[in-house]
Amino acid sequence: MLLISCPYCGARAETEFSYGGEAGIERPKDPHALSDAEWADYLFMRKNPRGLHTELWIHAQGCRRWFKVERDTVSYKITSSRELSLGASEKE
Amino acid sequence: MTEVKRIDLGHINLRGDAGDDRFADGVEAALGLTLPVDPNTLSESDHRMYWLGPDEWQVVADRKNVPVLLKKLEDALVDQHVSINDLSGGQVTLHLAGADVPELLAKACTLDLHPSVFGVGDCAQSGLAKANVLIGYIDVAPVYEIIVRRSFSEYLLRWLRQNSHFQVGTASS
Repeated sequence: MLLISCPYCGARAETEFSYGGEAGIERPKDPHALSDAEWADYLFMRKNPRGLHTELWIHAQGCRRWFKVERDTVSYKITSSRELSLGASEKE
Repeated sequence: MTEVKRIDLGHINLRGDAGDDRFADGVEAALGLTLPVDPNTLSESDHRMYWLGPDEWQVVADRKNVPVLLKKLEDALVDQHVSINDLSGGQVTLHLAGADVPELLAKACTLDLHPSVFGVGDCAQSGLAKANVLIGYIDVAPVYEIIVRRSFSEYLLRWLRQNSHFQVGTASS
């Protein structure tokens, strides 16, 4: 079981959390300006990397806050965990 | 053996900005206790106030005092961006007493509840036997308070009573 560090509550067991997919996906400012392919890319296409992955988690059984985690998809090692607001403006 | 009791208490959920002095002062004036801003802690006077999140708290008080406390909070926090909700009807309070409580809870909870880690005045929201619970260590006796949704309360009460029955010996403390 993973030990995930919630930025608010501290380290807790994985069972207290739910996964929210890749982080840092920004909704296009003007969706009407996008082609179908660009819109589909925003909606469906994800990186799915082998290695370090930035992802969203929610502390569902705890404080019920979303936050951002950096996890290695091979070793499952979590290298960082922080509040969403601090990383919101970051583009990848 | 752990003694499990259902206690009739009222609950108020409070949300606001912990960084705003007006909020902290307002809460203190209305409830007579300091706002617990440290994660996983609770503060206590005539009532108890649990930290639930960076901008969310829960007040546990005598049920008959709840309407008065709601009014006091509303008056003290008027014109602020807050939310004050009476959850008394939706939640149930259980008190667990006895030296074996951490051992009993450890059967179905991932938290480290050993008194050296989880001491008096500490609290945590977690899962206990598949129910979402708020656990607080409220008295050195020891007494633990568990707050659970009403719909889960009968199940959890049965689970606790059944499993406390199977406990043998005393826990290390």
